[in-house]
Amino acid sequence: MDLSYQEKSILGSLLAVVVVYGYYFASVLRAIGRPEFDGGSLGRLMLAVIAIIVIEVVYHIVLALESKTEPKDERDTLIECKAYRNAYFLLATGAALVITYVIVAGLARDAAPTRIIVTPFLTINLVLFVMVVAELVKFLTQLFYYRWGLR
Amino acid sequence: MSSGRIRNNIRRLRFDRSEMTQQELAEKVGVTRQTVIAIEQDKYSPSLEVAFRIARVFGVPLEEVFQYEGADSKADSAT
Repeated sequence: MDLSYQEKSILGSLLAVVVVYGYYFASVLRAIGRPEFDGGSLGRLMLAVIAIIVIEVVYHIVLALESKTEPKDERDTLIECKAYRNAYFLLATGAALVITYVIVAGLARDAAPTRIIVTPFLTINLVLFVMVVAELVKFLTQLFYYRWGLR
Repeated sequence: MSSGRIRNNIRRLRFDRSEMTQQELAEKVGVTRQTVIAIEQDKYSPSLEVAFRIARVFGVPLEEVFQYEGADSKADSAT
């Protein structure tokens, strides 16, 4: 499959996000009952962010060395705009869902003892999860339009 | 408003101009080769500015490069 420079760049970023945040959220699931977002949690998150940056930088250096870089033109910009639109829609929806969850869980807890839990650890990771999914949607939208065209 | 399709003759025009490559056309127009490929395959309709620049490279009117095929085009031609 013949991939353009932009497609290779996006595909690399997509894989980096999937691998690094996949690993991070797997560790979050194992510690889902943890109440506070403590120093260890922050350390794991920082490690994930640093890993993403390092992988992205190394990958794009290798990509620039082995294939000809192409400046963005109007089609790239238009595809990016459409991708950001989809990502924004998902981010806004996700944020609304997390806010609703926190409010409903708070009301339920006040009304009666419940199994619905809202902890800083869970809330922060839910917001982070929505942000990561929005980023994935952006990459996937871009790949879709590069492959199937803008009509 | 009904949706239509924009067809183009870029491949033929390139062939007529000493088999100009997609890369050469892309450089003259100021877009990437991938965008030229997408336009030729009707996967992308360029902006008016890029469309005019392509026509200028070939030295032909815009209508000779791009044709609009919409539901309204038959009705328009009948009037």
